[in-house]
Amino acid sequence: MLISCPYCGPRDLSEFTYQGDGNRTRPDPASTDQQAWNAYVYDRVNTAGDHHEIWQHSGGCRAHLMVTRNTLTHKVSAVAFARDAGHRKSDRHRMSGGAA
Amino acid sequence: MSPRRTDSGGRIDRQRSIRFTFDGKPFTGYPGDTLASALLASGVSLFGRSFKYHRPRGVMTAGVDEPNALVTVLKGGVREPNIPATLLEIYDGLTVVSQNHFPSLGFDIGATNQLGGKLLGAGFYYKTFIGPVIGPLKGTRFWMFCEYFIRRAAGLGRAGNEKDTARYERINAFCDVLVVGSGPAGLMAAKTAAESGKRVVFADLEPRLGGSANWSGETIDGMPAADWAEAAVTELRQNANVRLLPRTTVWGYYDGNTLAALERVADHKPNPGKGEPRHRYWTIRAEAVVLATGAFERPLVFPGNDRPGVMLASAAERYAAEFGVLPGRKVVVFTNNDSAYATAAALKKAGAGIAAIVDVRREVSEAAHAAALSVGGEFLAGHAVVATEGGAKLSGIKVQIFDAATGALSGEPRSIEADCLIVSGGWSPVIHLASQAGINPQWDDARQAFLPPQPTQNWVGAGAFNGSFSTEEALAEGHAAACQAAGTVDGLIEALPEVETPALRSHPAPVFEIKAKGKAFVDFQHDVTADDVRLAYREGFVSVEHLKRYTTLGMATDQGKTSNVPGLAIMAEALGKPIPDVGTTRFRPPFSAVSLGSLAAERYGDLKPERLTPMHDWHIEHNATMYPVGLWFRPMIYGDPGETVEQAYVREAKATRETAGIVDVSTLGKIAVQGPDAAEFLDRVYTNVFSTLAIGKARYGLMLREDGLAMDDGTTWRLGQNDFLMTTTTANAGKVMQHLEYLLDVIWPDLKVQLTSVTDQWAGAAIGGPKAREILASCVTGTAVDNEALQFMGIVHGEIAGAPVMICRLSFSGEMAFEVYSGACHGCHVWKALMQAGKPFGLVPYGLEALGTLRIEKGHVTGAEIDGRTTGRDLHLDWMLSKKKPFIGSAMMDREGLMAEDRIKLVGVISLDNRPLNGGAHIVEENNPDEPRNSIGHITAVCYSPALGKYIGLALVKGGKSRHGSRAFVADPLRKRFGPVEIVSHHFFDPEGKRMHG
Amino acid sequence: MVDVLSPLKPVWKPGTHGNTANGIGVVLTETQPGSIVQLAAWQGQEKKLLAAIKAVSALALPDGAGGGKSGDSKAAFGIAPGKFLIVDQNEGLAAIFSGAVTSEVGTVTDLSHGRTALRISGPKAEWVLAKFFAVDFALPAFPVGSGIATLHHDIFAHIQRTGAEQFDLYVFRSFARSFWTMLCHASEEVGYEVS
Repeated sequence: MLISCPYCGPRDLSEFTYQGDGNRTRPDPASTDQQAWNAYVYDRVNTAGDHHEIWQHSGGCRAHLMVTRNTLTHKVSAVAFARDAGHRKSDRHRMSGGAA
Repeated sequence: MSPRRTDSGGRIDRQRSIRFTFDGKPFTGYPGDTLASALLASGVSLFGRSFKYHRPRGVMTAGVDEPNALVTVLKGGVREPNIPATLLEIYDGLTVVSQNHFPSLGFDIGATNQLGGKLLGAGFYYKTFIGPVIGPLKGTRFWMFCEYFIRRAAGLGRAGNEKDTARYERINAFCDVLVVGSGPAGLMAAKTAAESGKRVVFADLEPRLGGSANWSGETIDGMPAADWAEAAVTELRQNANVRLLPRTTVWGYYDGNTLAALERVADHKPNPGKGEPRHRYWTIRAEAVVLATGAFERPLVFPGNDRPGVMLASAAERYAAEFGVLPGRKVVVFTNNDSAYATAAALKKAGAGIAAIVDVRREVSEAAHAAALSVGGEFLAGHAVVATEGGAKLSGIKVQIFDAATGALSGEPRSIEADCLIVSGGWSPVIHLASQAGINPQWDDARQAFLPPQPTQNWVGAGAFNGSFSTEEALAEGHAAACQAAGTVDGLIEALPEVETPALRSHPAPVFEIKAKGKAFVDFQHDVTADDVRLAYREGFVSVEHLKRYTTLGMATDQGKTSNVPGLAIMAEALGKPIPDVGTTRFRPPFSAVSLGSLAAERYGDLKPERLTPMHDWHIEHNATMYPVGLWFRPMIYGDPGETVEQAYVREAKATRETAGIVDVSTLGKIAVQGPDAAEFLDRVYTNVFSTLAIGKARYGLMLREDGLAMDDGTTWRLGQNDFLMTTTTANAGKVMQHLEYLLDVIWPDLKVQLTSVTDQWAGAAIGGPKAREILASCVTGTAVDNEALQFMGIVHGEIAGAPVMICRLSFSGEMAFEVYSGACHGCHVWKALMQAGKPFGLVPYGLEALGTLRIEKGHVTGAEIDGRTTGRDLHLDWMLSKKKPFIGSAMMDREGLMAEDRIKLVGVISLDNRPLNGGAHIVEENNPDEPRNSIGHITAVCYSPALGKYIGLALVKGGKSRHGSRAFVADPLRKRFGPVEIVSHHFFDPEGKRMHG
Repeated sequence: MVDVLSPLKPVWKPGTHGNTANGIGVVLTETQPGSIVQLAAWQGQEKKLLAAIKAVSALALPDGAGGGKSGDSKAAFGIAPGKFLIVDQNEGLAAIFSGAVTSEVGTVTDLSHGRTALRISGPKAEWVLAKFFAVDFALPAFPVGSGIATLHHDIFAHIQRTGAEQFDLYVFRSFARSFWTMLCHASEEVGYEVS
């Protein structure tokens, strides 16, 4: 699998580290809403299709990337710096049943 | 001249002889020969014994699809089994032995297996070796008992036990166009792509590029096809943009148009060149790929079709035309299509006699008919071969009248004398790579073959791969494919080369099997017969995937290259369904066998990435026993002669408590945390507060994961307002770095913080003990190190022996101790200066074992206790959990389960029987060695404590402090260690910390 | 001044090695720069940092990922968004930059001891490097002056092309000896000289 790093260009999978589901929003640090924290830490969407993932280009520029990858075909359709994609609103982190 | 070698012709060099041995007997061949061609030329027809029935087998093909002629190559004490003789280039000194026979290839006791042929059908092992319901060999135990003997009797070559000393390498390549296959289609594609200025990689698994042009006997552009190919290859070789890769099998097609290939760099040489690898594993990333992998000819399934002397038609033609070897003097042709007529003509031309042409079709094309007449011999249209005669060598065949539409045989079988039977059952495009990078292959009725699937990656097919079997089509498609791959719409070449070839079509009649009495093989390598396939059907296996697994059809080392389609056709007939409805299996990598050495490649042998500290060589010179810690190497002990490990570390630890000890701590992870928001960032990632830390001071910090469990600990030093130096444990350095980088990139991109790994920038030496300060004072210049100048957790800058150093007074050993950091390239210099200064005081270097001992005595935690399951509270670090601010893990650490009373918590244990304890041993309340039960925790770290004069350990035990002073037992059934311990506080030694505070 | 100790010392074997039948494929050396410094700009401050680099080192770096320049004694190239590696044969570069780069612009990190600088040059340099890194080293894809960050298994490397047939590699000092050993091993088939 190749990931096109916005800085380094297309690079081999071996240069990257998977750093988790990209569909999560961290609750406010002072929040004591255990459900929200639980969802953030443990709940993951299991998408069949385009999926947001965080990959670190650990063997390159070390930037974290928001990668949109199709879990059925491995096709990577978009890559952006996670820094720029930061704080993206998403309600998909709640596994409240049904399709995400 | 050998009996079967032609006087002229072929692409071998008759001027020079090559000597080799086969089963101990000497043979000769010529440069350009494969083992198969050289042995055939010498009149050898028996190459090996079959997998299950030990039937004699010869050579069936001339290439990578060979199922029968597998041999073992002996080289430098290493044996490599299951090499197809058809791919093995001979060289002087080549030593080859045949396989799967006892006592010899000619006389094999195992051949009696075929007498019990009915018994040994599909699923024989599964059915027969089911054990009794009860008893010592019940169920699968019986199979496991029998398996040993079966494995000896059935099988392929035997692997060796010697270490493979050959060299393997990996390499990466990038190109615009990768052309796989070098026949006319591939060659034309490579030419076209190269002429358009593209970067081209051109690979073929054969040593000689050109594919069928090397033997087809056709004329291309007015010259013999082989000459045309050679000229084209020469031109490509001179093009700097083209990399030719002969002997290179492209075996895997992966995401991102990344392909894996194996180059056999030196297998054909008696000795590889200096530094030359035996195999090179190429990872090729291509913008576009042209697949011109050709087609495999298929055998027909009929009784006795495995007898040595039966060969694929194309293979026979290749041996005659390319290698100058006649596969027989009296040849019978058996076919269901026209292509074998050209073969007959070629063999005739090379000097063989054609005894008969047997064609399952009653009507054949005019061209075929004309060809049949011109080669002479009987022409038996509407006939089929129903048996072969002879022992381990073909002496004749039997034919009968055959109705291709019904498969019915009629009339009396008639014998025809022959020493070679060449067979053509049609052609299957080699779509393996395409199947890896495409959807399902498509069945084509006209060709009776699967055609390549729709691509899911950027490849274009050409030639026989597409089912376009003529050379004219191959050249046109090769050109067109390259234009498409290179992104040029218009043709690049004005006129395609002209081809002169007989008008013979290889589209076959839909006949795969002749049903007559006797064993008719489908998968030759796994000894699967047509009856086995039908038996599987009768027993209820209807899916082609199940059929494969039950009969093992197509699962041998050749992966069914000759057997998949015939097997499927027989299955389809049994099911009463058309072939496309039965389906085919998708092909997986690798296309053909890949050496494990090439996959390990750069990690093979001594090439390991080792991390060494700046003082590494000093440690070695001073008798250190080095111990791997991740990729790092650290001294375990500095043993004196005759000392045991325990004696050495006890001596080192004792000296540290009594005078002073020094340990290399360069491996600790070190991260520069810089920027205006660095202090704020540290407050968020550590459980305790760092923004209040004064410049020139250090603080011990604890990090949690988001889920509230402990992650790592270490000290962080404030070197400036915006400049911190964080240390982590050796093992977690990389993990902590990634954790912090994630937080900055993903969670808090607004924070102005820069993280840099500076682990390698600093050499670290921790010097501790009652004399440590005196030693430092005697060698440090530029700063005082007394209590006033350097308070506990203070940092000063100075010099040692002229090298700048940074000294922090902190203690892991519990002694008055200092960590001395210097630039890594000065590290050994500073270390030596410290050793020199410490000499009068009795300073000793100590290793990991003593380090562990000192910290266990103090009850300090490390990775053994911060094991991903413990919380800060479990480790009695409650005092570090700030209530003034949120931090990573603060929201989750108060969950019920993490606060529960019965969690295992840190304690100390003392061995009460004066015997050593073991890490990992359970702690139980009752001593019951026969049936230990009810673990209340486990031991995490152990040592002999010189300070206490006892064997002690740290443990995580339910109830923690409430058990202090109580007795329990260790239970370690694996190491058979049981006995009483006392549970105590983890602070074994100097609990008030008087020594380090001085 | 204290001598700096090369991590390669016990494995440093000057002379020619390997298969030199067709000449010397590559020359391997350790360049031992006095300073290796990492500079990083906060987002939006990149231009100011580039200006500081130009002011201090006289190297005007081109825009774009990995853009770099190399001179007789100094070299610089991009290694990550807003991040650069600056190398000088003289010591003390970090201190100079600390004065030139304010905390509003970015950070200065001294890596002079932490990275080992290796040079590989010669007609087979691309071939040997291709054995380690899944990166296209061909000149059009990797122009002179430019740099990259990449990885060989655990061994992280910054690489700058400092000539048509010359590359400078910066690896973690602790890995340098292992990597050097591998580099020599991989160079054997083309013949190499250590100097």
